[in-house]
Amino acid sequence: MNEVIGIIIAAILCWLNFVIVDTYFGLPENPGVKGAEIVGRDVSKRGGDIAGGFFQGNILCSPDASAGTLLASIGYLVLGIPGGIIAAFFVFMGNRLCADPGYAGTTGSLTATLIIFISSFVGLTPEMFIGGMVIAILTVQGIDQVRASIVLGKIAQKFNRHAEE
Amino acid sequence: MFDLVYGTIFFASYGNISGLVNIAISPFDALLAYIVAIIASVVMALILRLPLLPGKPYRYSFDVSALYPTPIIAIGIFSIFLVLNYTFIYNGIVLAAIIGILSALFVKYLFDFVFPKPLDEADGEDMR
Repeated sequence: MNEVIGIIIAAILCWLNFVIVDTYFGLPENPGVKGAEIVGRDVSKRGGDIAGGFFQGNILCSPDASAGTLLASIGYLVLGIPGGIIAAFFVFMGNRLCADPGYAGTTGSLTATLIIFISSFVGLTPEMFIGGMVIAILTVQGIDQVRASIVLGKIAQKFNRHAEE
Repeated sequence: MFDLVYGTIFFASYGNISGLVNIAISPFDALLAYIVAIIASVVMALILRLPLLPGKPYRYSFDVSALYPTPIIAIGIFSIFLVLNYTFIYNGIVLAAIIGILSALFVKYLFDFVFPKPLDEADGEDMR
């Protein structure tokens, strides 16, 4: 497959994977640590959504499904499916060191490994997933944090995981 | 018809499952060993009287249980042995069972010592 098209498809798959897993495990609901709360309040003061702000703060402050997807792609590139599972194990240890239960991170890594394995049959390689994941994180944290938080808040409302303020 | 069979096998070979490492045992044996590791860890954790599921707010509980951290630790450590190409006898099944049992013992007796629960900042008690 053409590399540019592959990176775009991989970015969409990665974005859906980590946003759905993170939202399901309740990242927008409450800030796990102090830093996530500060980021969330700051985003909502600038006109964003408080649930999206908590989401962005949580994926900034501890390795959740976003870091899990990125590390699983790197592990898959180097070591194949066992690499993805090793990535899940290390993400779990990192989660516990960050005072986080770690459900989202391990689930995100395992589902990312599964997605990379399935999509390798249509010609998407793990390299494309590494590039796509960097782009997916950039759309959430980098380009426009306020508008991204509004989109994430709407998704959280769909999943019934919105922070009640 | 043979073209169809050949084409299907060729298409299936696109699924690269081992990356850059050479894993000595076949993918089917590796899958079997993973299943053995998961079953051995869960059964050993239940024998050690760990609960099957974590405590009640499921998504925020720090409790260890038979289903959540035990199989993850077992298959993670077994993967490290697999990519280092050390599979003991019987295509890694014995190694998988040993790792499953040891990871259940680790979760039962050492986990809270290695990864303590975070303190609640209000009253300094363990968070639930």
